[in-house]
Amino acid sequence: MKDSLRWSYALNQWNVRLDVFVRHEDQQRALKTVSACGFDHVELASGTGRWDNISRPEVILLNHGSHSGFLDFLRRAEVHGVSSMFWDPQAPAEEEEGYAFRTTANPDDHDAIVEWSKPFVDFLAGVGAEQLVVRPVGSAWMTPPLGADGIKVIGDVWNRIGELTSAAGLGLALHYDCLGAVHTAGELTALLEATDPATVGLALDTAEFTVGGIDPVAYYREHADRVTHVHLKDTRYADTGEEYRMPGAESTMLKGGAGRRIERWFYELGTEGGLVDVPGFVAALRENEFGGWVVVESDHGGNPAELAMLNSWYLQHELGVPKR
Amino acid sequence: MTASERAIKWSYMDHWRSNGPSGPVDQWHSHKTMSAFLKQIKATGFDAIDTFDFRIWQMYGDYGGPAKYQQVVQDHGLERIVNTFHAADYDLRNYAPHLPETHEFILEDFRVTMGRWSEIQLDNIIVMPATLYYDMEPVTEDKLKYTAECWNKVGEITAGYGVRLTCHHEFFSGIQSEADIDTFYSYTDPRYVSLFVDTAQHCIAGVDPVALYNRHAHRVSGFHFKDTRNVATGDDHRHRPDSEIMAPTTGKWFYEMGTPHGLVDFEAMMTAVRDNGYRGWISVEHDKANKQGGDYSESTAVSRWYAKNVLEEIYR
Repeated sequence: MKDSLRWSYALNQWNVRLDVFVRHEDQQRALKTVSACGFDHVELASGTGRWDNISRPEVILLNHGSHSGFLDFLRRAEVHGVSSMFWDPQAPAEEEEGYAFRTTANPDDHDAIVEWSKPFVDFLAGVGAEQLVVRPVGSAWMTPPLGADGIKVIGDVWNRIGELTSAAGLGLALHYDCLGAVHTAGELTALLEATDPATVGLALDTAEFTVGGIDPVAYYREHADRVTHVHLKDTRYADTGEEYRMPGAESTMLKGGAGRRIERWFYELGTEGGLVDVPGFVAALRENEFGGWVVVESDHGGNPAELAMLNSWYLQHELGVPKR
Repeated sequence: MTASERAIKWSYMDHWRSNGPSGPVDQWHSHKTMSAFLKQIKATGFDAIDTFDFRIWQMYGDYGGPAKYQQVVQDHGLERIVNTFHAADYDLRNYAPHLPETHEFILEDFRVTMGRWSEIQLDNIIVMPATLYYDMEPVTEDKLKYTAECWNKVGEITAGYGVRLTCHHEFFSGIQSEADIDTFYSYTDPRYVSLFVDTAQHCIAGVDPVALYNRHAHRVSGFHFKDTRNVATGDDHRHRPDSEIMAPTTGKWFYEMGTPHGLVDFEAMMTAVRDNGYRGWISVEHDKANKQGGDYSESTAVSRWYAKNVLEEIYR
């Protein structure tokens, strides 16, 4: 996309299970699809184990020999770089003390989480990416109520990691999601206030905000100085019944196992009945001369290639973003 | 470079499957699925679409006719409908070009067909010029001559509508060998009968599509650019109803351009297109792309990626 905004595409939806997106030719097909849709940078999502050879930094390097080897692999498909990478320290990973379960809400886990972040910081710096995008806290249903200084505790670990990313020339962006223990606009703002604006920013995901009951346009306008990264996707639903508090909300809520039994929450841009004011949000980005990456996602939506193509059409024809 | 400045523009031939709430569907399932199809074609950089004659009923029923359907195509940013493929049944009782007694039926079919399409301007109407191989063999010079006479007359009808009659040689059709193709064109009138080169079909039949194109370049009015990994062997070309589906050796014949182990030399093909001074449309096709786990959306994006990053570097 040739635009004053910088557009990237997330690969997360292609890699829906550990062994389905491993062969390099399958990855090349996805990268070519993204390229054909007009995107020349991608966002990676962290994973674990030997199959995650486009997700786990150490495994990527084992497969491609070096940072430049991996970039060469991307460039074969005319994808010219990595904008960012998503990492959730609450998601157990083999490389993180053998699937140790830790949370940013527990100060006793902070030293380990800081240590776990280092492969991501090193890898992203090595491939010339700009943002480490992180899940700041685990799901609400799994997290004890945050005490009086609970949000400050969470902010502390991200400030420490923000120093690492900053030293490596990277940004650190906290990605709000609709299941997280930091849930309301007030809690999110408190988390931002507990972090250093010089090193820690916010990754604003338009659909996650909307599902979680926060207006992404209004929130962006109020906090534009803290938003350093964007995930752009739509939703048809808001979590009006506090389904995020249900046990196993990743499944009970987001996969339709209980509650209103909504099986699909996230949609492509331009979807019928979409709740996100995408033109309004993008206009707000332009008004503020947003300089970060705007990452479009097929996340949890359906056929990733189809959704990438539909998203590309929307950007070109509804938002007037020139493809080349 | 704008579309009008390019020597080559890319059209997408109407094959599609996707999974909807009611199961596998094609793009003609609903206005919503059609819109999603057209958006995907446009998003990846195609300029237009091709279609089939048998879709005209859905154009009338669902959209109000070809002109109104074409408006829907244009509303999605695409230029127009370029070609239509006339997929006839080739029943020996009434529709066999090598049997002169069926010619009047075929001519009447085209008089009616061209009238139906006359509200929009097509470039080509594409036909398989012979019956199925198993219904035409042995292929004799007389049969080729009768077939050529039929299409000369059909071409005169289509020319009256400003549309070229062009022939597409499936590997299972009666005219698929190099010698028979050459003989057929020697009997047809260049004013009325053109050649439409399908890169994969010729490869499957053991014919080099680049050499064939170079020999007949002055008569070529379009292309299907698609790939294959297999050449037909034994009696692959003799299976009812259709060897594309029923040939025993190969479950999936067609792949998108750029597929690993593809037999079509697309770089040589594009070089020949350039060197012969061809200007106009190239149609991209990968029919049955969904077989064996394939996906139309992805194949379409990958093929357009290949056109942009490999073929347009040679000629555009």
